Amino acid sequence: MKHSQDLHSDVAEVLLSEDQIRAKVSELGQRIAADYAGREITLVSVLKGSLPFMADLMRQIDLPLRIDLMEVSSYGGSTTESSGLVRILKDLSAPIDGRDVLLVEDIIDTGLTLNYLLRYLRGKNPRSIKVCALLDKPARRLVEIPLDYVGFEIPDAFVVGYGLDYGEVYRNLRFVGVLRPEAYES
Amino acid sequence: MTAVEAPGAARPEHGFAHASEAEFAHILDFYEVRWEYEPQVFPILWDLSGTVLESFAPDFYLPDIDLFVEMTTLRQQLVRKKNRKVRRLRELYPGIRIKLFYARDFRALMLKYGRAALVGELSGTVGQVGPRPDVEVVPEVSADATIDLQPKSGTADSSGDSPATGERRSRAARRRAGRRAAAARGASSPAN
Repeated sequence: MKHSQDLHSDVAEVLLSEDQIRAKVSELGQRIAADYAGREITLVSVLKGSLPFMADLMRQIDLPLRIDLMEVSSYGGSTTESSGLVRILKDLSAPIDGRDVLLVEDIIDTGLTLNYLLRYLRGKNPRSIKVCALLDKPARRLVEIPLDYVGFEIPDAFVVGYGLDYGEVYRNLRFVGVLRPEAYES
Repeated sequence: MTAVEAPGAARPEHGFAHASEAEFAHILDFYEVRWEYEPQVFPILWDLSGTVLESFAPDFYLPDIDLFVEMTTLRQQLVRKKNRKVRRLRELYPGIRIKLFYARDFRALMLKYGRAALVGELSGTVGQVGPRPDVEVVPEVSADATIDLQPKSGTADSSGDSPATGERRSRAARRRAGRRAAAARGASSPAN
């Protein structure tokens, strides 16, 4: 991990500007509000990458809503080696049975994490469950899962910013950019 | 047209032909995606008498999502051969869903999970065990050979892969691959 102090210099290209993201989040929020009119939804965000998207999206949905947060271990992480299985590091704080749930994700690439989460959440008997992803990277997909709301379809590149990290860094960038290979190549 | 069960499909242990396959299996296990290793052999080339000349056994089958995955993290010459096999498979078995997992896909997966430093150990020729890739024989059909490209039902080679493909590796080689992958995992420094 060789990130520099100037995070912007590690970014080869700005893929999505702050303005583009803001406009898209607003559009998604309006669509969601229209689709769920008259209902009360629970937005479930997956830590940590989805946090900025969740924070912005919820303020663009003009409906009564609840939010909840989950965190799952990622393959290769230090918390995973003992069991070799994905673990729920933070579970929902309130039941979702009978509720309309919208899972808010930062990016879908292989679909492995989303596949696991959907199975887990369906086991809690929500009334409905849909998926809203800011970024979709279909070139990497292994598990095909219908996405109900997608912000941007992006090319096959390693992106950081707006919640997305590499080695826990770059999450605070206001845009989504392609990381320079020098930042992760040893 | 029917595929046949690979001879190793029922074995209780999984030895992998390549360290990247072992790593991929661990990722699937982690996310609780069921997989089978080389469970089926698909004949893809016959001679006029219906004898299978060439078969293809994709590395993984994911039954829950009905998808075959073929890992190809080796050198370009073998990638071309695998591309050709996958094209042929898709022509002959249009109902089969298969994804070719290239070296760049594997690299991206490792990067995503903070394991980019392991890419060199788990991919390419370094990660290969068993027969060296440059001696792996995939039959190149000579110009004067008599080949029937039309499949004949019920003519699948019941022994699994055609002997000519040379793609089956010994169990010992597969175990060595698994051990190498395990050692590589132990040497990692998770970044997430």
